Amino acid sequence: MTLFDRVFSGNDAVYGLTETAIDNAIAQYGEDQAIAFPHTAYSLPCYYAVTGTKVSNLGELKAALGVVKTLMTREKRLNDAFMSGVATALCAEFIEVLKYINNETPYEEPCSGHLPDATIRELGVPLVTGDIPGVAVILGAAPSKEEAVDLVKSYQAQGILVTLVGGIIDQCQEAGLNMGGAVRIIPLGKDVTSVIHAVSVAIRAALIFGNITPGDAGNLMKYTFERVPAFVNAFAPLDDVIVACGAGAIALGFPVITNETENIFRVPKSLIVQEDVSKFNATSLEARDIKIKITKIDIPVSFASAFEGEIIRRGDMQVEFDGSRKDCFELVCTKELTEVEDHKFTLIGPDFDQMEVGSKQQIAYIVDVAGKSMQADFEPVFERKFHSYINCIEGVMHTGQRDMIRIRISKNTYEAGFRAKDLAEVLYVNIKNEFDAVVDKCAVTIITDPDECTKLRQELAIPAYNRRDERLTSMTDESVPVYYSCIMCQAFSPSHVCVVTPERLGLCGAVSWLDAKATNELDPQGPCQVITKERVIDERLGRYEDVDEAVQKFSRGAVEHVTLYSIMEDPMTSCGCFECICGIEPFSNGVAITNREYTGMTPLGMTFGELASMTGGGVQTPGFMGHGKQFISSKKFMKAEGGVERIVWMPKELKDQVAEKLNKTAKELYDIDNFTDMIGHETIAPDPEPPLALLTEKGHPALGLEPMM
Amino acid sequence: MPFNGKSGKFNASINTVEVGCGEKAMKIGGENVFPFYTFDAPIENAPKIGVMITDLGLENEPAGVKAYYEGCTTLGEIAKKAAEMPGADFVCLKLEGGDPNGANKSTEECMAAVKEVVDAIDVPLVISGCKNVARDTELLQKAAEVAQGKNVIILAAREEDYKTVAAAAGLAYNQKVGAESADDINLAKQLNVLISQLGVAPANIVMDVGTAAVGYGFEYVVSTMDRVKAAALGQNDTQLQMPMITPVADEAWNVKEAMATEEDMPEWGPQEDRGIGMEVSTAASVLACGANAVILKHPASVATISKMINELM
Amino acid sequence: MALKGLDIFKMTPKTNCKECGSPTCMAFAMKVAQGAVDISKCPHMSEDALATLSEATAPPMKTIKVGTGDAEYSLGGETVLARHEKTFVSKTRFAVNVTPDMDVEAALAESSKVDYDRIGERMHAEMVYVEYTGDAAAYTEAVKKASGKGKVLILGCKDVEAAKAALEVCKAEKPILNGADASNYAEMVEVAKAADVVLGVSGASLDELYDTTAAIEKLGYKNLVLDTTGATVKETFANTVQIRRACLAKNPDRTCGYPSIVNLSKLAAGDENMQIALASVFVLKYGSIVVLDKMDYATALPLFGLRQNVFTDPQKPMKVEPGIYPINGGDENSLVLTTVDFALTYFVVSGELERSGMPCNLVISDAGGLSVLTAWAAGKLSSTSIATFIQENVEPKIKCRKLVIPGKVAVLKGDLEAKLPGWQIIVAPNEAVQLVKFLKDLKANGEI
Repeated sequence: MTLFDRVFSGNDAVYGLTETAIDNAIAQYGEDQAIAFPHTAYSLPCYYAVTGTKVSNLGELKAALGVVKTLMTREKRLNDAFMSGVATALCAEFIEVLKYINNETPYEEPCSGHLPDATIRELGVPLVTGDIPGVAVILGAAPSKEEAVDLVKSYQAQGILVTLVGGIIDQCQEAGLNMGGAVRIIPLGKDVTSVIHAVSVAIRAALIFGNITPGDAGNLMKYTFERVPAFVNAFAPLDDVIVACGAGAIALGFPVITNETENIFRVPKSLIVQEDVSKFNATSLEARDIKIKITKIDIPVSFASAFEGEIIRRGDMQVEFDGSRKDCFELVCTKELTEVEDHKFTLIGPDFDQMEVGSKQQIAYIVDVAGKSMQADFEPVFERKFHSYINCIEGVMHTGQRDMIRIRISKNTYEAGFRAKDLAEVLYVNIKNEFDAVVDKCAVTIITDPDECTKLRQELAIPAYNRRDERLTSMTDESVPVYYSCIMCQAFSPSHVCVVTPERLGLCGAVSWLDAKATNELDPQGPCQVITKERVIDERLGRYEDVDEAVQKFSRGAVEHVTLYSIMEDPMTSCGCFECICGIEPFSNGVAITNREYTGMTPLGMTFGELASMTGGGVQTPGFMGHGKQFISSKKFMKAEGGVERIVWMPKELKDQVAEKLNKTAKELYDIDNFTDMIGHETIAPDPEPPLALLTEKGHPALGLEPMM
Repeated sequence: MPFNGKSGKFNASINTVEVGCGEKAMKIGGENVFPFYTFDAPIENAPKIGVMITDLGLENEPAGVKAYYEGCTTLGEIAKKAAEMPGADFVCLKLEGGDPNGANKSTEECMAAVKEVVDAIDVPLVISGCKNVARDTELLQKAAEVAQGKNVIILAAREEDYKTVAAAAGLAYNQKVGAESADDINLAKQLNVLISQLGVAPANIVMDVGTAAVGYGFEYVVSTMDRVKAAALGQNDTQLQMPMITPVADEAWNVKEAMATEEDMPEWGPQEDRGIGMEVSTAASVLACGANAVILKHPASVATISKMINELM
Repeated sequence: MALKGLDIFKMTPKTNCKECGSPTCMAFAMKVAQGAVDISKCPHMSEDALATLSEATAPPMKTIKVGTGDAEYSLGGETVLARHEKTFVSKTRFAVNVTPDMDVEAALAESSKVDYDRIGERMHAEMVYVEYTGDAAAYTEAVKKASGKGKVLILGCKDVEAAKAALEVCKAEKPILNGADASNYAEMVEVAKAADVVLGVSGASLDELYDTTAAIEKLGYKNLVLDTTGATVKETFANTVQIRRACLAKNPDRTCGYPSIVNLSKLAAGDENMQIALASVFVLKYGSIVVLDKMDYATALPLFGLRQNVFTDPQKPMKVEPGIYPINGGDENSLVLTTVDFALTYFVVSGELERSGMPCNLVISDAGGLSVLTAWAAGKLSSTSIATFIQENVEPKIKCRKLVIPGKVAVLKGDLEAKLPGWQIIVAPNEAVQLVKFLKDLKANGEI
């Protein structure tokens, strides 16, 4: 038998039962007998939602059954199976409503049967907010009472709403499990048809919370698929009726997980066989893509930002890990979903209690993360957060990054019981919470064994850092498909928009293209938005239709055009947080750059402050622009006007800071050695005059260039 | 040659939001010009005035407020009297008693207060929390349920709790969602986007973009409101076209100018006059910047602002 | 900005002669472009260049100066319609209305009681509006009484002879003669010209006001303010907004490019609360001078606070002076808390501390007027800046050695402990609203 045959056969069986039941009821009560579920404004909710028709008496119910019949097509196509599943569910609803004829309470404790609208509204809010992260529908009897209770409790602990149908109710009752709405375990009924009361919850949630119009079956199923995080756990043995019901669940987007192995057909993401009942929970959550928020970090000391600035002095120190003396590192590794077991902790080497008090040790921690939307580019973004995570632990101090870290653990914290697993827990919980948009699974390995630390540092960590650095330096504006906007500064500079590209980081110096990308993916509504770069207008100037449109949109019309590479034509605006300002120096055909820290005069006759007052605030001032320090050595630095060879003056300190990279760029672009020697600074040219003598003496290339205006 | 000014009418307009039900229902928003620029185009819905009352009664109120409510012994009576205040269009119940650092009333007590007010009045109602986010999440969610069928504004859903509050108010119980952000146009917009993504229709959202008393960083309020209106009308930014509601009373009466007693500052003159001055000035200012509704508490302020709106419309 | 700095630079002699007062021609050009310096300061500009630039760089709205000495004020000169675009430059000034039938001296003495300092700015009604009521002799007498008080006089008088007589007693103080309308403008221009004072123009309608102003400009007088007060509040608002909008439009109508007078003493006589409400509206919407019945604290506190907020650089936050601010009667033994000098932060924090009822000292050090996190990120709030300020200014005066720092800079705790020996550093919550509870808890735990 194929899966189709099973679904169709189950559907036919239920249809037959329903028809008989309705006919019997009509014979007993007559066609005009009113039927309704109590306390709902949605008639027979499932039938009403799918068809848009309300049913109020037995005669109409009989007619409705005719409509159901039309869903029961028998081609062996997926859609036919789904529709037969839906038909089965509707039949179940009809059978259930018959129980309510002349009886408001056909169900007895602990079973609830139909749930009133008020309950849906109440449950709907935490469902929308994620406070109830999922809805489990458990069907049938577990292999044992213990397994039944363990499974239910595992969901309960995660805040998942559990509904029970069939044999598992008795199992839980026998085990003395406390059930009821208050503890979010709702036994529906012992007949398999009572599963419709769980479906009814999902459907009414769509009508109430999704504003779905009754009869709009397409959007109904879209809503339940996207917004109702329900799933089904069905215990063996599965008969055809249950398989048909399962098809209905799948049609609504709810995966079915079963331990049935006989005569079953696996459908990826939808019908999943998991023989080990103890893994039902993990399998279900993964299949339905449910992430559990962790609210409390279970460690023996406090975790709060108030501890971020703590300093652990030598005398108070239980143990120290020092990357400058020993092999230490911290590393995030992106893995495949199948390679990571969520929340796994591994310790290689001795724990803190086996280390001599006050000693210097080595430590390495590898955080493996996996997720459908995870990208290796996020690794350094996560890694940079470790510093603040670890510092927030009471009595733990962390400095540095990568393989140059230092960690101290205080005696008090150690005595409170803080061990390696707690460090791992802090990393795990924070990564999972802060980056839940991209991290589905996370596992932490801590290594304190000296040989392993040395080996992994050389073989794993250093190559990973090198790879990343290479990627960063090799990334060019041309090599990426999109840029990003950044409007973090609009609070005080309303019309300013940064266009962040790999070779031009945000002018505050703090937002690189990778940062912007990560910000965008983690917070899609946030300050960084994708800017496409498909419609180029002028390659030399870096002028794109897409970029102009984005800037217009994000500046709310205040800025219409920007170029990425020109300081003269529609230069990018500046907010006010720029590290440096570059301004045109007309007598040398060049530009002078000054930085925030330098308060003195420049050859332009203006100080940083004076320049900032006319360059900032999101206005375009041709001839002047704000930028980050790193941009000075970029090959895209005012590329349209000739690039870095236009630089004729910088404060000495700034010059020293950027010298190495700038000289490298000048060498590559123009084959000039020690370019910074040609650039003037305040002691050479203290007067607000261009350092023409120096430029002439050194043969500065700017003198020979076209005038800038 | 007469004066030839260009009209400042826009092609976009602010959403119209209807609050309350029955004959006393009110509409806010709908305009396609800057605030009170009736010379550019007629403004259909004049800005509305709400009267704030709290579940803690009148004990801490200035004499003029106490005098107005004289004879009222229950919250229901106070609410009824507030609804009748000359110049008022709606009532705002603040669940101040829920503050865990204050009276710390139970949720049941707070909901009883909501019920009492809902039953006492037929004018539109705004329900606001105690400003403690964790507590408000619970109180406002429940309040949305208790006030079912009354089409009230639940003030407010914030970045921290918007899911719960907006889902309860905007989806489960068909109320209006007040989206509160703090003086930043991008945060205001982001919150509107997030609430819309939950499935709340834009016509069911109003904004509180943040406020302050005049003199207390009020420039941020001015610029945020100016920019929101400019973006909504000039740029047709649909995510900022929600009408704005501004609770004024709490801010205006909680600064030194209104709180210093006459003994402390004899040269400043009567304390209550100063409070009214702060309330009137702050209300007039936010209205000039585009608030579609303000929430006040003193009968003298309500009378003045009502008169001002009438004369400007 | 009609012309960019570089366009102006191209027309300069490019000699860096410094005769204009700027160190370079570039710096000069940029200042001209910002409107900070007049193009005529450069002695070496060609006639052609001057003509082109004067036209292009002339502001659309004139800056009109009134009064003398300490009581000299600039009106107008605005370049934008909304403060977030660029700073509003000339504050709204408040005038107190007096008439000859009042005890002018007593009225002015009463209003002059309001004279105080708020965040470094003197707050008082800067002007007196003397309204003519038909008796020229009495009017001159009243003007005489109002003059010499350090206030700018506004003569609300449409009678040419009475105005002439009144100016005789006060013209040295550079008052405003608010008296020209469609019927008398030619004579009034002569009177104003002769006395060299600013002339106020009014009209029965916006069209009449506009036409009269245009006619006066034709007579060559451009030292004007426009009285936009109409018959109703609605009309006044419409006049004031439309005139400002026309002069700051893309194609400025320079006939509208003058400051405004809004007379609330006429529109809402005797209704103080209504005057506060309307004055607030006109502070925001384009009133250059607002005339009120009187000035008392109930009026002053909100209006001056509002004005101080609105007329600020949108990119430069308001700052409070560094120092020790005792709260709730804090003395040398009271707890010390510190935050930044950003005015908004100061107000929020001091407000919460006041609410706590606990005596304490709020210490403000110079943090560049930035908020806590911004100041920290910019290096303006550091363990060194706090420690230095505490050692130099606090330790000599305060005995308490417990310092509460903002939660957002908890990271400074360790450094501060090292730099401030003897001090216990306590980290406060992230948000000011949590302070009341935080202090209550500290006290309950016996930590303070």
